[in-house]
Amino acid sequence: MTDRDPQPDGGHPAGATDPTYAEWRQHLWEDQVLLGQRCHDCGHATAAPKAACAQCGSRSIERIDLSPEGEVYARTRIEIAPAEFDGPYTVALVDLGEARVLARLTGEREIGESVTLTDVYEGDLGPAPVFG
Amino acid sequence: MHQPHVVGAGMTRFAAHDRPLAELFGEAAVSALDDASLGTDAIEAFYLGNAMGGQIENASHLAPQLASHIGLAGIPCQRFEDACATSSNAFKHAVQAVESGRHDAVLVGGVERCTPETGLDTAEMTTQFATAMHELYEQPVGLSFPGVFGLLTDRHMHEYGTTEEQLAEVAVKNHFHGSLNPDAQHGREITVEEVLDSPVVASPFRLYDCCPFSDGASAVVVANESVAETARDQGADEPIAVQGVGHATDVVPIADKVDPGATQAARDAAEQAYDAAGIGPGDVDVVELHDCFTGAEILATEALGFFEAGEGGPAAAEGRTRLGGELPVNPSGGLKAKGHPIGATGTAQIVELVTQLRGAAGERQVEDAQVGLAHNLGGDTATTLVSVLEAGA
Repeated sequence: MTDRDPQPDGGHPAGATDPTYAEWRQHLWEDQVLLGQRCHDCGHATAAPKAACAQCGSRSIERIDLSPEGEVYARTRIEIAPAEFDGPYTVALVDLGEARVLARLTGEREIGESVTLTDVYEGDLGPAPVFG
Repeated sequence: MHQPHVVGAGMTRFAAHDRPLAELFGEAAVSALDDASLGTDAIEAFYLGNAMGGQIENASHLAPQLASHIGLAGIPCQRFEDACATSSNAFKHAVQAVESGRHDAVLVGGVERCTPETGLDTAEMTTQFATAMHELYEQPVGLSFPGVFGLLTDRHMHEYGTTEEQLAEVAVKNHFHGSLNPDAQHGREITVEEVLDSPVVASPFRLYDCCPFSDGASAVVVANESVAETARDQGADEPIAVQGVGHATDVVPIADKVDPGATQAARDAAEQAYDAAGIGPGDVDVVELHDCFTGAEILATEALGFFEAGEGGPAAAEGRTRLGGELPVNPSGGLKAKGHPIGATGTAQIVELVTQLRGAAGERQVEDAQVGLAHNLGGDTATTLVSVLEAGA
């Protein structure tokens, strides 16, 4: 098999993303599940699916369900928001153990505090996970 | 291989400018050509940095348009776009074209209009800037660019104990430097108290931690040793050698970067530039770096190897990066006080280094400056270019 062949798990041609953004968005919106990927070669995991591993370039990557539990890695309280959004609100990097995800954060949380995926923000630009 | 030099440099004042892009860029370009004592016939290619003209000015395909405005139509012209690192990337290509012998002399510069006075209001412009982050996994969350660096700085404060007062000291320093630069948008000195009393934009950053919206243009002429000699004979000031340019990228989005606060692209680009120049951080006399927010300056001084991890904040507060200190950082005022017209920022850093290395910076002159370093960052720290310039080489 060459790396140009379709992936053996079917359906997705080489170069396509598994999951696609449409699938990622649908799972978040309808099931409140964060889809991600894990690399078979280097183990890197991501909450932002791509056609290849961002760390090692391998196309041998599998779709995974990411944990809904994590810890706050960094926060910023957005007071002056882009035009499509109504501030203020808090955005955070949340560490899910094997991958990080950018999310909305509810409540006053410290770095290192445990948080859970509780909701989905539905903005004009697409869904975003909400942790609290 | 040829030795590239910057033989001429020019810029507009950074401010609100109610003039079309062509007139704004024309001022910087003509000023750079005149500074080089060269006519347009000496220029073999034109590389333009403009990040957002298509989005905010309904103006694309700008390179031949601006070339025509200054009498350069006919030569190869190219526009570059790499968010805030736009014109540094154009500069890199000019340096490579001269180094390889492809062209003897290249005009490279940038122009952008971002002020509410000439374009969009703050919320709309915040949206435009946010287009430089991940379309699917960052923009929908409502992250802003102050927020990008807010996240990185929040983490730095957590890991190293960096304080809001130390962030404020960076703003105070750069406003002081800007007060000595007639081309700076902000010429007024401020105090730590004023910074800490200003409203929050994206925590931990307050208004005075953030660079302003700016209009402006900058340009330099990059040439080989033969053209540099001609320019010198025709009365130009000292040519400044480009000893190395590093260019690296990091993963987008931020969540996927191994250590987001490390700004790895800056470390990789710096290593390339130091290696090419045959120097280390200890050899640098003057630095122009990408202080879009005060926290970004602290992260950059560590990523470039000037200070150990966690020492960037205390170093700023102790005055070590102030004019007269051991390593003056952003003597121009930086993005913070000089201003940040996106596509013009990278080559404006080169303009300041050339001015410093020629010993022509007046009140803000860094004493005995021989080696200068520019650090220009684009997007969610995804792109960084580092350039090393040297006088008398």
